[in-house]
Amino acid sequence: MSVRRRMNQLVPRRASLNDLVNSMSKSRLFGWLAGHVLVPYWARKTPVHKQPGGARATVQPGDNVQRMMNLILPLKDKTAVGRAKAAMAIASNLDEIYAGLDNVGTVHFARFVIIENNMCMISCYDGDFSNYIRDFVAQLGTVFDSVIALIEDGEAMIPTRDNIDTFINWVHDRDVYQIPDTATELLHYGTIGQPAVKSGEVADLRLIARALILQLHANPNALLGSGYRGYPGISAARIRDKMGFGW
Amino acid sequence: MIETDRDNSFDPKCVQGNILRGYHYARVRHLVLEVVNAALARRWLSQATDGSGAAPAITTEEEWLIKPASCFNLGFTYDGLKALGVPNASLASFAPEFKAGIARRAVKINDVGESAPENWASPFDTPDRVHIIASVYAEELEELDRVERQVADGLGGDGFAILGRHDGWNFDTDHVHFGYRDSMSQPRFVGVHDSDSYPDKQPLVPIGSMLIGYPTEYQNIRYAVPQPDALGRDGAFNAFRILKQDCAAFERYLDMAADSLLDDQLGEELLPVGDEAKFGPDTSRHAALREIIAAKMCGRWRNGVPLELSPDTPCPPEPVSPTDYDYGDDVRCPFGSHMRRCNPRGSTIVQRAARHTRRLVRRGYPYGGRYDPGKPDDEERGLLGNFICASLAGQFEAMMCDWLNLGLQDPRITGSNDPLLGANEAETSWFAIPLKSGRVIKLRGFPRFVTVRGGAYTFLASIPAIRYIANLER
Ligand code: HEM
Repeated sequence: MSVRRRMNQLVPRRASLNDLVNSMSKSRLFGWLAGHVLVPYWARKTPVHKQPGGARATVQPGDNVQRMMNLILPLKDKTAVGRAKAAMAIASNLDEIYAGLDNVGTVHFARFVIIENNMCMISCYDGDFSNYIRDFVAQLGTVFDSVIALIEDGEAMIPTRDNIDTFINWVHDRDVYQIPDTATELLHYGTIGQPAVKSGEVADLRLIARALILQLHANPNALLGSGYRGYPGISAARIRDKMGFGW
Repeated sequence: MIETDRDNSFDPKCVQGNILRGYHYARVRHLVLEVVNAALARRWLSQATDGSGAAPAITTEEEWLIKPASCFNLGFTYDGLKALGVPNASLASFAPEFKAGIARRAVKINDVGESAPENWASPFDTPDRVHIIASVYAEELEELDRVERQVADGLGGDGFAILGRHDGWNFDTDHVHFGYRDSMSQPRFVGVHDSDSYPDKQPLVPIGSMLIGYPTEYQNIRYAVPQPDALGRDGAFNAFRILKQDCAAFERYLDMAADSLLDDQLGEELLPVGDEAKFGPDTSRHAALREIIAAKMCGRWRNGVPLELSPDTPCPPEPVSPTDYDYGDDVRCPFGSHMRRCNPRGSTIVQRAARHTRRLVRRGYPYGGRYDPGKPDDEERGLLGNFICASLAGQFEAMMCDWLNLGLQDPRITGSNDPLLGANEAETSWFAIPLKSGRVIKLRGFPRFVTVRGGAYTFLASIPAIRYIANLER
């Protein structure tokens, strides 16, 4: 067989090449390769700055109230017994925890949820994150330590009140990364060793998907946008004031 | 003059003297130093701690019998500690905001727009090179020059490059630009008797709110001591800020706001016709309204008399204390005024847990010539401010981001910024002046009067800490 004929058999005609490429994104094999091989390789070649968790610093008053916290704290004991211990640690301190949150004064809602061997603490609060955590720990003293003791790497933080800055940082690290509301903001993060797009510069919008994939590689959990607010820009205290609960 | 109880465990000769007391000199010079030769710089530090050699001796907290001709103090930035060879493990033990440096905390403290670090003046436009702020306090300019020469000559000259020089002076005793009297309210400490301090109704402040390594106002928490103890203990953190004040804009705004309240019903409730006389003979209605607005924005009349004790006049018939009061409702002193935002004292705030915890020692000097409204000029003027505390995040930044801006402490001011120095924009700014009848005057349209020109987070290391740094080998 001539070389040319063999090539014709191996290389499909142009139309079918397009079909092949188009079908790749739907193909399970390609999907698997992209997720398990291509992205990790790509992430090694162009590592991105792992963005910190939690609400971003902002100067808009409306964005500085009703900020979302989504802590994911992996339990040390990943059995039903471990989960029960965590449930008990919260339950037996619930009154103090709620009183503490009341005195922090800037919290709209807070809840504790066990999801797949993680203790999740989810809340909506006003103002600065570190002020919120500092005031919370200051209220609770050692009560909260019994919860932190059940969390992976938690031991080093105890007693939390003697090491408040380190503890705030530790918590911040475990607050879920929040994908910005405007996708182009992703491009301002930049990759390690390569400057980010400066504000004002025109960003190459085609890079958004890539930036998102690489960031989600670095940060597996994510809050999608800053979240829905039923009454934007209003602090917990303003609601309490208006509804006559006192603040 | 400061005395300390014997049972107060810190040793005055170990603590830098500019933390717990005001020196009350007429002038200050802040020299911005970059370490260019660490070994020589360390030897110079060694001289500065014991007064040997040519370096000026660092002033400590020890009592003095005769006030010296000048005082000298040092603040180290994180980059400065690094440049001097402080080991990585020690560097890592400092609080995150100090490690980041003030420029990287800009958004949090609302240093944005014109105040953003990329617009700061030299040398603060290259924050990584700002290593030490050396502050000289004296009565006379010649003495400042003499001490500066002492820094520049000898080892200092080869160890450091002087990147900048910032002079401040009390051009009118304690008055600052915008015309207010300043330097009255300061925290008073447990076990420290400072005959200069004015009495007030606030609980005494545990020394740990300023000096590192002691219990703080938060009964349950402590700020970590940077390691080793010899480096961390008895130090304090400082936010050094160069704050440019737009005096012309401020006076213009007072004019404009007073105009809008002339022949206005609310204006008449604020200043009942005839009450102009309480402002001095021949004071016009317009001039009196201007003073009321200036007072409401600050919390004091410009002559220093507190609104809470004298709500209707800057010249009360009987003298009142400058500081001995607590806040009641907001008809006397608005919740949104500068002073009440920065220190709500005993009044209720949303963050009940934070009550009395965000205290700062303030040591500021005005810079630039006195502003003459009759002869507006382009000279830059403002305040060289030191805001001292044990935790920059827990005190200075907490005040800047939740209270001065945003106004989280009281739902009635949330969403507004400090009228004097908040990050205001004319389109959105507002400031409420509540009246006795329950009606409210809402002033709007004021710009940002204060712009940040530079700054640094510094560590006012103890004397043993400076010796520790001086003895590092690397
Ligand atoms: C150019 C800028 C500033 C001006 C013109 C200014 C002016 C004043 C004045 C006139 C007072 C009353 C004087 C006194 O009670 O001793 C005062 C008090 C105070 N200011 Fe400022 N200030 C400025 C910047 C700042 C900043 C940046 C902060 C905070 C980080 C701050 C925090 C305070 C505090 C804590 C008080 C004392 C309140 C009290 O204890 O009742 N100031 N300021």
